[in-house]
Amino acid sequence: MIKVKNLYHSYKKDDIYQVKDVNFEVEEGEIFGFLGPSGAGKTTVQNILTGLLEIHKGQAEVAGYDMKNISKDMFNKIGMSFEQSNVYSKLTALENLKFYAKLFDVETRDPKDLLKLVGLEDKANMRAGEFSKGMKHRLTFVRSMINNPIMWFLDEPTTGLDPSIAADIKNIIREKNKQGVTIFLTSHNMFIADELCHRVAFIVDGEIKLIDSPRNLKLQYGDKMIEVDYIKDGENINDSFSTILNEDKKKLKEIIDNYEIQTMHSKEASLEEIFIKVTGRGLV
Amino acid sequence: MKVFSGFLKELKLASRGFYFYIEIFMAVLILILFLFIVPDEFSAKGEEYVFLDMPKEAKDVYLKGLTGEDLLNQRKNVKIKIDGKDKNVDLYETEDSSLYFLESKEDIIYMADNKRKISLIIKMDEDHNLAYQYYLQGYESQKLKNLIRVLNLESAHLLQENMDSLEVRSISIDSKRLSDKENMLPSVLVFNGSLMGLFLIAAYIFLDRQEGVIKAYALTPSPVWQYLMSKIGVIVFISILSSMLVLLPVMGLKPDYLLLLVLLISTAFFSSALGLLIASFYDSLIQAFGTIYVFMIIMILPNMAYFLPSWSPTWIKIFPTYSMLQGFKSVILANGDAAYVLSVSAGFLLMGLIMFFLANLRYKKILFR
Ligand SMILES: Nc1ncnc2c1ncn2[C@@H]1O[C@H](COP(=O)(O)OP(=O)(O)OP(=O)(O)O)[C@@H](O)[C@H]1O
Ligand SMILES: [Mg+2]
Repeated sequence: MIKVKNLYHSYKKDDIYQVKDVNFEVEEGEIFGFLGPSGAGKTTVQNILTGLLEIHKGQAEVAGYDMKNISKDMFNKIGMSFEQSNVYSKLTALENLKFYAKLFDVETRDPKDLLKLVGLEDKANMRAGEFSKGMKHRLTFVRSMINNPIMWFLDEPTTGLDPSIAADIKNIIREKNKQGVTIFLTSHNMFIADELCHRVAFIVDGEIKLIDSPRNLKLQYGDKMIEVDYIKDGENINDSFSTILNEDKKKLKEIIDNYEIQTMHSKEASLEEIFIKVTGRGLV
Repeated sequence: MKVFSGFLKELKLASRGFYFYIEIFMAVLILILFLFIVPDEFSAKGEEYVFLDMPKEAKDVYLKGLTGEDLLNQRKNVKIKIDGKDKNVDLYETEDSSLYFLESKEDIIYMADNKRKISLIIKMDEDHNLAYQYYLQGYESQKLKNLIRVLNLESAHLLQENMDSLEVRSISIDSKRLSDKENMLPSVLVFNGSLMGLFLIAAYIFLDRQEGVIKAYALTPSPVWQYLMSKIGVIVFISILSSMLVLLPVMGLKPDYLLLLVLLISTAFFSSALGLLIASFYDSLIQAFGTIYVFMIIMILPNMAYFLPSWSPTWIKIFPTYSMLQGFKSVILANGDAAYVLSVSAGFLLMGLIMFFLANLRYKKILFR
């Protein structure tokens, strides 16, 4: 569904690239996660794949369309939920969706159904300008489904939402995927990636460090974390250590030698811990 | 169809925004000014106050001589206030001045000193020679002063001879003429329509860019030009609305409204396309404001030429607003010069299209940053 080869991007069109030699493919029916800290280049890649940004160097193909020579028809097949809500604040939620629906050449979904999907049915006639941040985000999110896209781009789909709404959104994403929609999502939240994605790519400073399924990553790096509760200077301390990294092993040994251990057990590494381990970087 | 639904949406947006009402408010304000405050003619006729310092018989002869001339055709008895007292005086109306004949030298001096009017005492001495004594205000033009000097020095019949030998031909073929008030309307139309349109469309574009809605639009199969066109449609609509708001009550059914519509649409199209193009070079209204302002000032220049016919350098004619003004004038006069109005409209349409084309190219590139 998506093929990206040697993709580079520089906003200033100079030698400093914000996206460097990115290569990956997304299969049809897959949920593919782009994970990385803020400023890693996730949105930039996504904007190139939706045609918002011009391709400078490299190749990209989306839903069979060459991104260097975008056909208008592609937009009937893709949808994108923006990281920052962008709806007309002077139009009501319903008006926003109704107007947007008219811009497509294909059959579109009933705006009221969509509002219901994200719990905004009571707010249909309220102007989006009066919406809270989360409500605007939900509106932006459902708007991206209006043309029944087969390729769905989601930029930080659950960031900043309260847990129950985030859960609803996750369910919608799963449901759509079950119907065959291919999904490309970006996030710096490893839990959602873990829960939703078939495969994830770790991206840092514009470079992809690794691509694999969360399951494989855990098999490879999991079971190798030791979580320790110990008492140091009369204080309870909880910490976890890798059993592969030499530095961590040393630290663990030191603790066992010097302090009173309360509990100690091995645990599965979270995707976040794996990310840190692989990229040497935190997610924020 | 998409353009139309886009237009309706833009109209809805505009009607919920602040600028739309500024424009309507301006139009209403202008209308009120025109209906209740602006006089039909600004340059009220020059008033002169005259005292004939001569015996009654001579006075009668002099006045008879005056009324006998073509110039002076009306004599009215009117009341004016002099030094707090109502006085009955004779008023003679000529083509370009009103002559009040007062009863005493004191009255003349009062009018000159306190009312700052041009006043004149015509004195006849024993030898029946006339002496003219003018009380000027100091700001009269040299031309007028010279004229007065000439009038008094040359003997009357000599001057008359000179006048008769001059061939007087009417310059204006068109007998219709706009009152001073009506003459201001073209400016109002240009200002409230075109110049505001230039600003408005930029404001609307920046509003959309700020909200990021254009990015969402870019991810639909609808082309950018449709988006831009529906914006222009709103500007044209507002321009027509605000123009009619002023024109209908002030001019009634006199103007040629069909032609007016053609001209309004083409000029509003032109200026909104220009506004689009200018806006495309900036990221915010604040940044763009300087340039928009400069363009507005340049476009206002021809207004000066319009009101000061004596200052009308040829180069001013290259400014688009010059033809706009002339076109609107022609339409308001309804002088049947449709060919002129249509050619002006065609010109603006063409320039507008070129600008629109360029704007479209620009927006394809920059809107989505
Ligand atoms: N319009 C722009 N002009 C110049 N540089 C930009 C622009 N947008 C992004 N960048 C730069 O490109 C890099 C990648 O930004 P991008 O928005 O793709 O990050 P991201 O991974 O989506 O981050 P976040 O998680 O905060 O959304 C950053 O260094 C950023 O400063
Ligand atoms: Mg981002």
